[in-house]
Amino acid sequence: MDEKQRRVDEVRRERSEVENHLIDEYVLGRITRRELVRRGTVLGMSIPLLSFVAAACGGDDDDGAATATGDGETTAAGDVQPGGTIRVALIQPTTEPNPLLVQDEGGAGMLGSTGEYLSFSDENLALQPRIAESWEPNEDGSVWTFAIRQGVTFHNGATLTANDVVETFEKLINPDGGSANAQSALGGVLTPGNIEAPDDATVVFNLDAPNGSFPTLVSSANYNAIIIPADLDPADWGQTFEGTGPFKLQNFTPQVGATFVRNDAYWGEKANPDTIEVKFYAEEGPMVVAFQGDEVDFVEHFSVAGGKALLDNPDVQVIGIQTATHRQLHMRTDKEPFTDKRVRQAIGLSIDRNALVDGLWEGRADIGNDSPFAPVYPSTDTSVAQREQDLEQARQLLADAGAEGFTVQLDTWDGFEIPDLAQLVKNYAAEIGVTINLKITDSATYYGDGVFGNSTWLDSVMGITDYGHRPVPNVYLTAALGGDPKVGVWNSAHFKNDAYDELVRQFVAALDVESQKGIAKQIQELLLDETPIIFPYFYNFLSAAKPNLLNAVSAATGQFDLSKAGFTA
Amino acid sequence: MGRFLLKRLGLAVITLWLLSVLVFFGTQVLPGNVARRILGPFADQAAVDNLNEELGTDQPLLTQYWDWITDLLTGDLGNSLALGVPVSELIGDALVNSLKLAALAFVLVVPLAIFGGVLAALRRDRLTDRVITIGGLTLSVVPEFVTGIILILVFGLWLDILPVSAQAPPGSGFFTQLKYLLLPALVLVILLFGYIARITRAGTIESLDADYTRTAVLKGLPRRTVIRRHVLRNSLLPTIAVVATQTGYLIGGLVVIETLFNYPGMGRLIVTASRQKDMPLLEAGVLIVGIVFLVAMLLADLAYSLLNPRIRYARAE
Repeated sequence: MDEKQRRVDEVRRERSEVENHLIDEYVLGRITRRELVRRGTVLGMSIPLLSFVAAACGGDDDDGAATATGDGETTAAGDVQPGGTIRVALIQPTTEPNPLLVQDEGGAGMLGSTGEYLSFSDENLALQPRIAESWEPNEDGSVWTFAIRQGVTFHNGATLTANDVVETFEKLINPDGGSANAQSALGGVLTPGNIEAPDDATVVFNLDAPNGSFPTLVSSANYNAIIIPADLDPADWGQTFEGTGPFKLQNFTPQVGATFVRNDAYWGEKANPDTIEVKFYAEEGPMVVAFQGDEVDFVEHFSVAGGKALLDNPDVQVIGIQTATHRQLHMRTDKEPFTDKRVRQAIGLSIDRNALVDGLWEGRADIGNDSPFAPVYPSTDTSVAQREQDLEQARQLLADAGAEGFTVQLDTWDGFEIPDLAQLVKNYAAEIGVTINLKITDSATYYGDGVFGNSTWLDSVMGITDYGHRPVPNVYLTAALGGDPKVGVWNSAHFKNDAYDELVRQFVAALDVESQKGIAKQIQELLLDETPIIFPYFYNFLSAAKPNLLNAVSAATGQFDLSKAGFTA
Repeated sequence: MGRFLLKRLGLAVITLWLLSVLVFFGTQVLPGNVARRILGPFADQAAVDNLNEELGTDQPLLTQYWDWITDLLTGDLGNSLALGVPVSELIGDALVNSLKLAALAFVLVVPLAIFGGVLAALRRDRLTDRVITIGGLTLSVVPEFVTGIILILVFGLWLDILPVSAQAPPGSGFFTQLKYLLLPALVLVILLFGYIARITRAGTIESLDADYTRTAVLKGLPRRTVIRRHVLRNSLLPTIAVVATQTGYLIGGLVVIETLFNYPGMGRLIVTASRQKDMPLLEAGVLIVGIVFLVAMLLADLAYSLLNPRIRYARAE
């Protein structure tokens, strides 16, 4: 016991203030073991170290190891046969495989097949080191130093150095032709020219402002950020799929599919399968049918609506990941009748979130509480009261605001379950005397040019928008709700609140979980009060695997990791 | 004959040119611009402007059209705006795929439908006729995604004797590819049988009632000879016209079937290109389908005059 304590003390002496603070929180039982691991890896602590600390320091012992939660995010480890060919069904990418242009799941799947990131964001939102071995912040989190793994080679034989990392990110955040998607995560965080490589094994990011979540922003969750050779033009990436991953490209046919073979020069544990065959499908239906017809072994992503056959079949392994993927029902705070927050609250109180989750997602979703803080985030304060359906209070609020019985138009588009959600929102509103007229078009019409004045999404009085998963809520907090027009480029509710903006600034800078949670609590309560946007749910990312295919891993952003996967005998 | 072909060629070129203009300016009506489509709604406006400049889609329409058509005349189909690869590659693969499926469908449905139509005409108003006519009509009215799904369920999943998608693994032999294409081809057979059979039936009835048939019968020729030598070549005239008009559809219009069976053919390619306002790809796709259509019509006309010497191609002038 003393020996253990001594070793713990020794370990803690070497840790930074922030890291010790995290350990304190665990010891005091303020965070669970799972959150310790999650938060710790973001700060750059290794998993063996965290496991040791967790075991030695006791504290809240929830589900133990940092891998399992709920339904099983990865298939169970077991006896898999070496080699084999795994056939994967993936939604067809809409763009060429150019790391700068990819902006959908299919493209992300392609990038992640051969490319590697600084770290991999797993189903618990913990960061597993890949190209980066470790990372740590300075005192206030405005400078992050990453130790780059040595001995890593690209598939073409060239050695990876810190310079490749620097150039990769410079290309991504280049305002003159970089990755729009990556910039949505790093805009306002990192400016070009502020990344250094003091030597071949170190990369230093000098941020615009302190940011406690920076490592997640350059992990696999930012799916354009695969590390590519410094001298490679991203437009040419599609010819070789150059990367450092456990698989390399054999061939790629646009709109048809791709084949990958094991990379025997991989720096880590060699992949188990010999070949991965990816087939593209334009629609979900044929994908599900192909799985049932034994033409593919793994479906990267299917929806509840399209994959009922898979959910009902006990022979199918359904892999579910808790994510922050959601819908935003916005109400323009600067337009009647939504200028009075009581009216907005009333709409929020009219919907039955549990019914939505059961009806639209068969229970495979978390209910939302009208803020971007999804239950999956460790920074979410779950003690904030959950808004429930309360028709009487809703009607009362409308009466108080003198806004009974108004009519409003809701604009949205016809993808996913959105039309069903719109119809249900309309029904709920009718119960409190509000008439909603639905105008459902297609995504091109709804999004338009994506700028204020030229986009139904940003101009409509009421609308529903789909948002993909992010590893931290930062971009939802800033871009979707920020008051500064340069920051709030997705602010469809035209929400402007100085107290809110200040809280968000503090949240983004906060380095440790406790302060993040404390600020989150204030933001959550402020948003519940103001309700510019209703967040009805955050739904799970579902993949399907054949019962004899084990260790298949999915990520909520569309990548899949089959390096440890294989078939049972 | 030479003059005839030249004239047809000239008309074809004009038709194709008009088609290209229609497609080009017609898709401009669709909302959204190319770079915005490629980068998505959440991208920065600056990034969108950048990409538009790079792709040349910020130029005035007439300039874009002129650049495209001048490149086309030198044989350069350009690159797909969304996929970044040469259009010729994409079109080449898709066209071959569509041709394979169309060929199989043709080989199955045309003999079957002609046989059915002739039989129905010969047994006019009797049970066989009713079954073929009404049955064929009913089947052709069912939407192809319904037929397709039923076939997939029955033959692909329940009986498990045929694959559920149409794309055979690369390097497959002839018979394997045939197996994969069988289900979608069957959908097309079901779809087209009724129509072609009825046209054949009508043409056959008309020839059976004609003077020359009566003469042949009165001459003492055996029934089979009468049908083969005198009736068929006349009754098939409308059938040829109908079959030719279906080629355009069979090559470029099978979007639903291609999606259902996950088959990378021309239909899907053109729809995807139009959704993304991928002009070079869309234009090339539509023009190819147009060319196929015009060639089919030309062949139909030649077959026409072959079968019926009275309809000389000179008359077409």
